[in-house]
Amino acid sequence: MSNLQVSNLSKRYGKVQALRDASFSLEAGEIFGYLGPNGAGKTTTLRIILGLVRATSGEVRLFGKSTMHAEERAAMGFLPGELRLYSDMTGLATLSYFARYRPERPPVLREKLLEAFGVERSVLSRKIKFLSHGTKQKIGLIIAMQHDPDLLLLDEPTTGLDPLVQQAFRESVLDFARRGRAVFFSSHVLSEVEAVCGRVAILRAGGIVAVESIDNLRGKMLRRLKARFRGAAPADLARTTGVTSAEILGNEAVVWVQGDVNPLLRRLAQADVENFVFPEPELEDIFMSYYREGKGADA
Amino acid sequence: MLNLFRRLAARHAVFVIVCALIFAAFEFLICALVSTIDIGAALKELRKSAPPFMQSMLGEEFFGNLTSRGMLAFGWNHPMAVALGAAIAIVLASRAVAGEIEIGAMELVLSQPLSRMKYLGSHVAFALAALSALSLGGAAGTTAGQSFYSLRVFESSALLKLSMNYFLLQCAWFSLTLVFSVFGREGGRVSGAAFLIALLSYIIQVIGKLLPAATFLLPYSLYNYYSPQAILIESKSEASSFSVLFVFSAVCLGFAAWRFQRRNIP
Repeated sequence: MSNLQVSNLSKRYGKVQALRDASFSLEAGEIFGYLGPNGAGKTTTLRIILGLVRATSGEVRLFGKSTMHAEERAAMGFLPGELRLYSDMTGLATLSYFARYRPERPPVLREKLLEAFGVERSVLSRKIKFLSHGTKQKIGLIIAMQHDPDLLLLDEPTTGLDPLVQQAFRESVLDFARRGRAVFFSSHVLSEVEAVCGRVAILRAGGIVAVESIDNLRGKMLRRLKARFRGAAPADLARTTGVTSAEILGNEAVVWVQGDVNPLLRRLAQADVENFVFPEPELEDIFMSYYREGKGADA
Repeated sequence: MLNLFRRLAARHAVFVIVCALIFAAFEFLICALVSTIDIGAALKELRKSAPPFMQSMLGEEFFGNLTSRGMLAFGWNHPMAVALGAAIAIVLASRAVAGEIEIGAMELVLSQPLSRMKYLGSHVAFALAALSALSLGGAAGTTAGQSFYSLRVFESSALLKLSMNYFLLQCAWFSLTLVFSVFGREGGRVSGAAFLIALLSYIIQVIGKLLPAATFLLPYSLYNYYSPQAILIESKSEASSFSVLFVFSAVCLGFAAWRFQRRNIP
């Protein structure tokens, strides 16, 4: 039985199709990435799973049951994308307030998470309105994780966190999965999903473009390399293994490569390279990969 | 449910207690005025110089034929007393859903193992407790004032009935505002609309009492079903008024619950 099973989920707001036929499942011990740009339908999916928004069609099953029962949410933890807490409560009162909704699942991980995220006691005694955005985000994460939920739903969880805390957060999420918990990780940042997720659904304009393992995704990923040469750029770059296309303009070349980059790097080593830039792939590059693939299939 | 109720109490208790104390102090002050100033005589003079259509208002309708007991009853009909109750009812209802969505906390709260019915039920239970405290605060103020200034004390059953009438009126405002609230996303706009309707209702009531040609408007004002003079002076049962307010509140609450169960959050 899957912890979360989403089947043909669609949501329409008037004339706007926010989500179209989304299907995926999430097993125990898995970290599932939900990757898409802003407005792609990630938050809508999460809200439907939580029963906050009614789907136009499709079905969500949590632990094999319908999502509409409040009791099912006791085994879940959720961090909203736009976290808002009660400004008049202290940090500690906020953690306790949300913990009291689950008397049968005490906040067993609270102390560990406070330490991991570097939240000091003195900070917890301050009212939420006096805390920084990053500290509020840490409190939001602890609210979601403190009761050791079986299913953790995170919407853009690293927003506002400094790199050290991001690392601590990743370790906590990996620890959750090691202990058999399922994590649904929604984000628009590819590198962050790539770092922790085993599988990923790629979402664009309300539709799931693909559900892939991270390894497959890396293999399909179309990456861009820019190189400047002393003298003219080699004319045979486009014929190098793995290169899908190359634009050569004088002594500069922009090369698109898919899969193994070693043949290209070996070819470049034979040329007189002055400089080259091989940036982290962006979400749009991935979409481009799938768009090209789709077009190829259509043709 | 108890968790949310406690949270509401922590958030609103000071506001509710201060309002109840102000209401009690106001009713006590009315007793002080009645015992120290011959307001009846002053109003009789005022009444003589008033236009004919206002003479009735300054007599039977609002001041109970200008007796000291009529003046005390007027303390419950005074715009200040009426506005205080409406303020609590409207503020609590507008914050319950639209206000919570506006501050952005609703999504996180409803992602907890808390059903929407329990969420709304907690808000309704807290509002009923707050409005009871306010009504009893007013009754305590009147009773204390009458004892302190040696005025003839109203029968406790009549005062209790009046408190109940006042309570039901505010419940009606709470329920109506809650209907707006479950449709809305901004607490300020919901409370603004509700205050406007309460004001309009009050104006309809005054016009209906002043102008015989406008009497037909009276049943459309909620204030028409709130009668301190009739209960305290004439000892009328006012069961029909109670029923109207009760049914109105129940229908509005039922509709609000039905709608809230189906709306998207936020």
